[in-house]
Amino acid sequence: MSSVRHHPKTQTLADFAAGRLDEARAVVVATHLGLCADCTKAVSDFESVGGHLLETTKPVEMAHDALEKILARADVTANVIVPASPALDQPERNLPLSGFLKGSIDDVKWKRVAPGLSQSVIEAQGYRQGVLRLLKIEPGTQMPKHSHSGNELTLILRGAYEDEIGDFGVGDLADLDGEYTHTPKAKGDEPCICLIATAAPLKFKTLAGRIAQPFIGL
Amino acid sequence: MEALLAAVAKSGDRRAFAEIYGYFAPRVKGFLMKGGASPEEAEDLAQDAMVKVLRKAKLFDPAKAAASTWIFTIARNARIDAIRKASKPALDGEDPALAPEESPRADDLCELKQEKARIVEVLADLPPEQAKVMRLHFYEDEPHSVIAERLELPLGTVKSRLRLALEKVRKELGDHK
Ligand SMILES: [Zn+2]
Repeated sequence: MSSVRHHPKTQTLADFAAGRLDEARAVVVATHLGLCADCTKAVSDFESVGGHLLETTKPVEMAHDALEKILARADVTANVIVPASPALDQPERNLPLSGFLKGSIDDVKWKRVAPGLSQSVIEAQGYRQGVLRLLKIEPGTQMPKHSHSGNELTLILRGAYEDEIGDFGVGDLADLDGEYTHTPKAKGDEPCICLIATAAPLKFKTLAGRIAQPFIGL
Repeated sequence: MEALLAAVAKSGDRRAFAEIYGYFAPRVKGFLMKGGASPEEAEDLAQDAMVKVLRKAKLFDPAKAAASTWIFTIARNARIDAIRKASKPALDGEDPALAPEESPRADDLCELKQEKARIVEVLADLPPEQAKVMRLHFYEDEPHSVIAERLELPLGTVKSRLRLALEKVRKELGDHK
């Protein structure tokens, strides 16, 4: 989708292609890919590098009965999964996020954490530590000034927000690492819903933020 | 290899699969061992990956990706599944929602062939120290900080070499359209 303006860093895309991300961040990146042809191309280029490395790897002999075992195992059930085609107006329906949400974003159980701010933590601890959650910012709400450290990916699923970096709309992804302070504000008249993968806790700079922090639970 | 995979997809051709297996399974095993897996772990994972190759052959689209790229993504996901099972035995590793989508994308067959040749060229052109870091990025499951320690290099150096290599790949392959 050409309207996407903010993308994951090249390093993040290469981490995804090599299978190095934690589950939470992999879900966020995969959801962005469903909306962004450029990043999809970059990931497939990096996967081709992986394919080339695989081809040029020195072979190591398999066990003598391995082929037999593989054929026997594959026989049990042919469980073929056909990837769903992405619905552009409902990015949450893209694989792999849909499997985590178990339904539509409209059915999410929100927990209010501060005025104008609610969230829902998604279980995504299948491999490698990370936190995945949805954050809903009501229209016009300005989040308290807060800082981030560590790697964090934020993907906009609905609505829009603006902060010191710029304007973020559906499909845009903020790829932050290291120290970074901002005050995002929801724009337009629908709530802004973001999918966020965090490795480290948010650190709020203002008193209101520090009071809200324990409720956000991170 | 692409034609063999198509034959497996079409009719479950076992002889075609045996050929794919003969070429790729030992390479998948070698690849995983380079990343630090023990021979036993690598054997198990390579078998898991080849089961998936056989089961999912129907999803392989030769117009979209080279067989090696597709099998790389399957081996990668098999490794992710293994980590997942180790940390949470109850979860089903086959759950489609959990793995990054395995169907790779490119443009058309002709362009794909050119692109494969292009990758070889781009990788050969990289300064050796960048190429090394990039290989480790794909082989290894360890964080970059561990790779840096092993190479006795500052983390910043490893990261910047990798970034230069990745940008080059992206630029060369992305631009060539
Ligand atoms: Zn993008």
